[in-house]
Amino acid sequence: MGRGGLSRTFQALMLCACLGIAGCAGAPRQHGGGQGRAVIGGSLSFALPPGATPNWLLPISLPGFTASFNGAIRAELYVPLYLYSGASGTVGLDDAASAANPPSYAPDGRSVTITLKNLTWSDGNPLTSRDVEFWVNLARANKQSWAKYTSGLIPDNIVAFRALDEHSFTLQLDRPYNPDWFTANQLTSITPLPQRAWGRTGPVAPVSDADRTDAGAKRVFDYLVEQARDLAGYSSNPLWKVVNGPFTLTSFSSSGHVVLTRNPRYTGPDPARLDTVTFLPFTSGSAEYNVLLAGGVDFGYLPTANLGQRPKLEAEGYRIEPWAGWAITYAPYNFANPALGAVFGQLYLRQAIQRAVNQPAIAAVIWRGAATPGYGPVPQDSDDHYLSESQKANPYPFDPDLARSLLAGHGWRPGTDGVLACAAPGTGPANCGADIPAGTRLDLAILAESGSDETDGTMQVLKSELSKIGVGLSVRTQPLNSVLANCSSCTRDGGDCSWQLSYFGTQGSWYFDANPSGEDLFATQASANFGSYSSPRADELITATTTGRSPGAMRDYSALLAEQLPVIWLPNPPYQVSAIDAALRGVVQDPLGGLQAQRWYWTR
Amino acid sequence: MSRYIARRLALAVMVVLLVTVVTFVLLHLLPGGPARGVLGLKATAEQIAAFNAEQGLDQPLPVQYWRYLSRLLTGDLGRSYSLNSEVGALLMERLPKTLLLTASSTLLAVAVALPLGVLQAVRRGNALDHLATGLAFALYATPVFFLSLILIIVFAQLVPLFPAQAAQGDDLAALLSQPGSLVLPVLAGAGATVAALSRFMRSAVLDNLTEDYVRTARAKGTPEREILWRHVWPNSLTSVVAMLGYYIPGIFGGSLVVESMFNYPGVGLLFWTSARNADFPVLLGVVLVVGVAVVVGALLADLAQLLLDPRVRIPARRARAGATR
Repeated sequence: MGRGGLSRTFQALMLCACLGIAGCAGAPRQHGGGQGRAVIGGSLSFALPPGATPNWLLPISLPGFTASFNGAIRAELYVPLYLYSGASGTVGLDDAASAANPPSYAPDGRSVTITLKNLTWSDGNPLTSRDVEFWVNLARANKQSWAKYTSGLIPDNIVAFRALDEHSFTLQLDRPYNPDWFTANQLTSITPLPQRAWGRTGPVAPVSDADRTDAGAKRVFDYLVEQARDLAGYSSNPLWKVVNGPFTLTSFSSSGHVVLTRNPRYTGPDPARLDTVTFLPFTSGSAEYNVLLAGGVDFGYLPTANLGQRPKLEAEGYRIEPWAGWAITYAPYNFANPALGAVFGQLYLRQAIQRAVNQPAIAAVIWRGAATPGYGPVPQDSDDHYLSESQKANPYPFDPDLARSLLAGHGWRPGTDGVLACAAPGTGPANCGADIPAGTRLDLAILAESGSDETDGTMQVLKSELSKIGVGLSVRTQPLNSVLANCSSCTRDGGDCSWQLSYFGTQGSWYFDANPSGEDLFATQASANFGSYSSPRADELITATTTGRSPGAMRDYSALLAEQLPVIWLPNPPYQVSAIDAALRGVVQDPLGGLQAQRWYWTR
Repeated sequence: MSRYIARRLALAVMVVLLVTVVTFVLLHLLPGGPARGVLGLKATAEQIAAFNAEQGLDQPLPVQYWRYLSRLLTGDLGRSYSLNSEVGALLMERLPKTLLLTASSTLLAVAVALPLGVLQAVRRGNALDHLATGLAFALYATPVFFLSLILIIVFAQLVPLFPAQAAQGDDLAALLSQPGSLVLPVLAGAGATVAALSRFMRSAVLDNLTEDYVRTARAKGTPEREILWRHVWPNSLTSVVAMLGYYIPGIFGGSLVVESMFNYPGVGLLFWTSARNADFPVLLGVVLVVGVAVVVGALLADLAQLLLDPRVRIPARRARAGATR
């Protein structure tokens, strides 16, 4: 073959390849614009958080399937009995998105009467009291399998269900409860289920009242769980076609790609305006960011490290808005640590450490202004209801000089390396404190989650600031799962209790239900009280927030823990920094993580 | 030949088994275990204990491995902790997508690299050869994630011709319905392979062009075209095919990066997500599949060489006897 011939063949091949590739090219999606007037219909793509894969549809979740995006998608299909959201500007009852009218509590607080709204299931049946009873029966008989179950709480605290008529019923409670707490944190767990479609024990079994016995309710639940475990069948299984929410499910893939379509049979007060909403899964924030820059999503997010790109994204038709979570962020002390538990038990020491943490600087520099300083156990981003004045005002503002003098005043003296050691053991006002032997060094170790520039930065700032007051801090990082597994609550003499401080707050340490009560977090022996904090006064106030009638109990609790410092309070990062198509309106970035996608609409 | 294949297959099984042992032990040595990560911060101690008991994670490691192996022999790869699906079903859903990506990348790489290698060899030393060599070195030295990023920035952001992510959906049809979304992942996957194969093909052709049989053919007046395509091409191809066989697992591994960069819903993305979620059954399943791919790739390469190169088929004894004579 002549050389020219080979070259021409190769060039022809390359040309064909280029033409083929060019033939696949498509037009990019436009963003921005809009006239401000609502355009009904249209579709929207929504980026799920990095690594998030929706994996559960049944409104009674098994452990491991409780991720917020599961709940958010589910709430579009099955209207919860009560839904709280930030639609009103602060977290409160979202009446339009709830299946019932506001509850009416008996004067003695021992029962609550509820009337359902005029909603209809997509199979034509109306929503009735029986659908609520169905949920209660299933939850009661299968509570050990339910992820949200805590002994003594719902459904244990509902001792009887009494239907008054087709649309009204009364729940008899085991004791009086704080109505605000009970509605916000207990009744929100209930989602009416379509008993006339789901009340069966197998695919060919007839619909029956089997759920009214324990054994029957277990069989019905087993059947529903079996169906819920078949992810591939979500979009085709007739069971999941029966919904009463503003959307129906069109597609659900195991990779997390989910498509919702407007429910034409929705009869409630909160219908969907968009035709379809597509949820897109992403492995990482950077993968999503690449797609966002290419205009591939309508409602996405950007890593805080890329906030410098804000003008570019705004020029491309996005508006950038941080999405504050209903959360607090903190680093727990391990009060049970054999070496330093007694040291952490000293309030003056916790005050000194808190005063050495420059939260405004961390929020402004490390989080580029997207995080909010937090000074107590109640979310501060968007609350004015539960927050005490003391927490709001920050009882321990950044003051390293005061921190140093607090420690010096209690007998801590610097060693040759600058790290303080106890030189005055004892329990007097000028001593280190009970059970702290002479020579104990303030050389702390923190176990922090890896993989986040912001967390790395926060740890370095903490290390630097603490060193200035004579407290050493060594930082060890591990993947989040390992941190959570290694910083569980422990006892001084039982098993591994070596961790001293931990941090798992890159995306917020703790997301609350609507009422940010602390029974899971700071009550003695609570399930997520990893540091084994214990205070009789805190326990008393926590009990008051759940069972008392005083509306001020939450604020008292907020003030107490802001002052008692059971943890190191740290800035609360946003749930995400959203990039939303400027032509998309009706979006409220709900601190509780809800979407309320039915209210979104295009203006383009 | 059949004894050779049987021996290689037995070796392959042992290698795969060893891979499962190493992966199993390493995964279970990770501090903390998967329960807290899977169940979340709000899980109670009872729920964590129940999870560990249900998954057998409270048993000694050898017992856990034996159970895993027993299930594996019945074709049960286990159930994903976090994806609410059987691992086998997940792999069956994702594997065709990854095979589509790797096959397209490999085909593209072969289609470009082999003619390019021949062209460079025939025109060695001229401007085209230097240009192609320079490009090949640059491509070879570029990490896959960086090449992916460049492709995204240039062809999805600056000149928005193609989407920055692959089409999503349950099956292959969803991917194939938007062929434009496959262009960038395939180009990224093919990049390094094109560079390596073209260099290898160039060397092989150059080596063969200096062989005695080529000189003899030329002396006998055989046309250059016939020398190139009838003699040099098949002889050069044998070593390239062997290399390609060993390269397939590399392409498979590269797809992990490509899939995560382009949000391509294949096995690589599944592995990435599962690693983040400490989803041991899925990780073990993917490692098993990749292990099998490595072994099968190597085996296929050897067999292809056996078919293409008659010298390999001559038993060693006969070869030695021939040499003595």
